[in-house]
Parts: sequence; structure tokens; C-alpha cells
Amino acid sequence: MNADDLRRAMQLADPRLSRFDPLPRIIAFDDFDRGFCGWTQLVGNYEHTLDSMLPGYAQHSQAMLSTLTTWDFGSHGSHDGSYALKIATKAKRGAQNVAVKRLTFRKRGPLRLEFYFTFKPEANALRLLETDVRAIGFLYDFQTGDQDGDAWRVMPHLRFLNAENGAHVQKWQFKPRTMPFKELGDEGKIVSHYHLDPSGWEDLPGGHQRLCYNEIPTKVNWHYACLDFDLATMQATGFRCNDRAFDLTPFAPIRIPAMRNLWCMLNLAFFAETDTDKRAFLYVDSVCLSGDF
Amino acid sequence: MIPESQSAVIARNETWRGQVFTEPYEAGWAREAVVFVTALANATGPAGTAHLEISPDGMRWAREGTSFTLPTTKDSIAFARASHFGNWLRLAVEMPATAELVALVTIHSKA
Repeated sequence: MNADDLRRAMQLADPRLSRFDPLPRIIAFDDFDRGFCGWTQLVGNYEHTLDSMLPGYAQHSQAMLSTLTTWDFGSHGSHDGSYALKIATKAKRGAQNVAVKRLTFRKRGPLRLEFYFTFKPEANALRLLETDVRAIGFLYDFQTGDQDGDAWRVMPHLRFLNAENGAHVQKWQFKPRTMPFKELGDEGKIVSHYHLDPSGWEDLPGGHQRLCYNEIPTKVNWHYACLDFDLATMQATGFRCNDRAFDLTPFAPIRIPAMRNLWCMLNLAFFAETDTDKRAFLYVDSVCLSGDF
Repeated sequence: MIPESQSAVIARNETWRGQVFTEPYEAGWAREAVVFVTALANATGPAGTAHLEISPDGMRWAREGTSFTLPTTKDSIAFARASHFGNWLRLAVEMPATAELVALVTIHSKA
């Protein structure tokens, strides 16, 4: 048995990792029974006054550790253990919230992000509520190294558009462009752009997927997602959700000139958006980020 | 393992007038919490009052019994301590007529 076979056998025998297919080096394994694992609020940029923060960011709040507690049967629990990371929007149509984990990378090579997720609206009506959550999604925020020949900030975004204006859409989308940058303050050092503005999403070909939602608004089922991304080429190389693998041919990340302070950045984020005046909840448990280096 | 501890900013730069409720904060993992309200600017009018509220489901709320007077001068702080609060916490805020406060709310929770 060689080292790779041994590593694979050990992972398959470990109940915590056996449900993942990580690349050789595990960069982060975030099981929310061990706390927040570095997942925090995506706060917006500002200078001199918090009033300078863009409204999209000003609405964000802290993620929570949740037992998925329901009014009708109690705590649902997470995929593995009691706690999941919970990202909750406010109860206002179009409201968004984002949780982020901030790292840097050691080598520009293959990365794999795997996670289990589920979503529901706040169950404050005795109806199915399957079209109240507009979207859930995730993104990377990368920047090339300070000595690299190229100098880009690259932000691959994927979202599951669950519903829009009451229609149960259920499709995966990507976002190739961000919003214009705005200078904040008067020192010429801080700018901001709201890359999760609801406009500019494009469909993945064949990206419709009917996820298990279950039969009342309090029952959840967990879904698997996996995005492969190559830091060398700054291109996504694979995306899977449950039993489906999707065509990434037209996929393009947001790509903008490198910024002054973000070299080797490797940020991950999860987000949720509501389509009605109900809170939308995205739950994640667990997250495995791995690389080949 | 060291017990979990977290600081969560659940409201930032929010202008409070009349009756206000902070967003539900789920922290069933925590045995205790301190809820701070910081005035980000001098308040307008008389001081408001905050009441700690708890909930079985994050939707239906009851007063926990702890109330405190909100700060009125920039960077001043008021707080309440909570334990045995179950799974959910929020503040119910009452501002007198014509009064206004720009607030930062931070919950420090510990397992």
C-alpha cells in the first residue's frame, strides 16, 4: 500500500471525513460542533464613519451556531452532531446575509471545497413556504501572490436560485461581473463594491436541479456540494451537487485588477437571500477545504 | 477543550426610534450571555429602555425580566446579563417619543 492508498483508507475509515472526497492536504475541516471554526460576519468597508458602508454590507449580521430548532418538533440537529452554522437574513424581501472565513493560500494549485447544506425560511406560517427563500450560495475571493506574473482578484460565485417572484425556479447560476467600485472616505485607501448585488447572475447550462425540500417548512434534508477550482489558472474545473455534475464551460468568475492589500487571499463565503418578508436561513455542516500541495 | 466563547455584533449603526426589536440570536450552546448596547452618537431626547426577551422558537417572545436604561452619550455603554435563557435572545427596545439612538449591539456568549 502506498502513501496515497493509506491516506485514502484512513479518511474512509474516519466517520467525520468519510463523507468527503478531499484532495491530499486538508486545509480546513469545519465541523460546527467544535465552534464557529473561523466563520464570521462579512462586514463592509468604511472610513471615518460607519455611514460610509455600502447598504448591501450594512445589513449583514453575525452567523450563529444552530441546532435547527423548530416550533413544532424541537431541535432538528445538524448533519453530524448538534450544531450547524446558520446564516439568517432579516425578514425583508431581498435581504441578504453572508458568513466568511478568511485564509491565504500557500500554492497556486487545485483546491476543492466540499460542504453539506440545507435551507429553509422562518416557519411562521402553516404552509410549505418553498418559494420564500430566493437563493443560497457560496463564493471564493482570491488574489494572486505579490510576486506572481499576473495580478488579479478573482471571485468565483455560485448560487442556487430557489425562487424568484413566487416562482419555484431551482437552478444554479454564476456571476461573472461585480458592481462598480466606490471610493470610501477621503484618504484614497479604501474602496468597496457589493459583489452580491442581485443583478448579473447567469444560468449554468443544464443547471436546473430539484433539491429535496421535504414536506413541511420545518423538516430539512442535507445536500452535498463540491466545487473544484485551480488557483494556477484561476478557473473552476468542476461542480457537483448530490447526484449531479454540472457543465462549467461558460462559468466565469468575477475578475478585477489586484488590490493593494490582498495578496494570496483565500476567502470563502456562504450567503442567503430571501424573496419575501420572511427570514431565510442557510445551514452548513460540515465544510472541508482541501488542496493538492 | 476550552469552552466556546463568542462576541456577535447583531446590530450596527442602527437608528432606533419608537419600538424596535433586534434580530433573533440563537445561542443554545451558551450558558451565559452579556448584551451590550453602545451609543455610536449622542442620543436625541430622553433615554430609552431595553428589555431582554427569550423565545422557544425564535418567533414568539416573552420578557425575561431584565430591563436596562439605554445610553445617551457617544461611546457610553449599557448592558444586561443573562443565564438560563434557553436557545434564543433578543432585545425589545422602547424609545420615548422624539427620542433617537444610533446603536451598536454586541452579545458576548459563553458555554
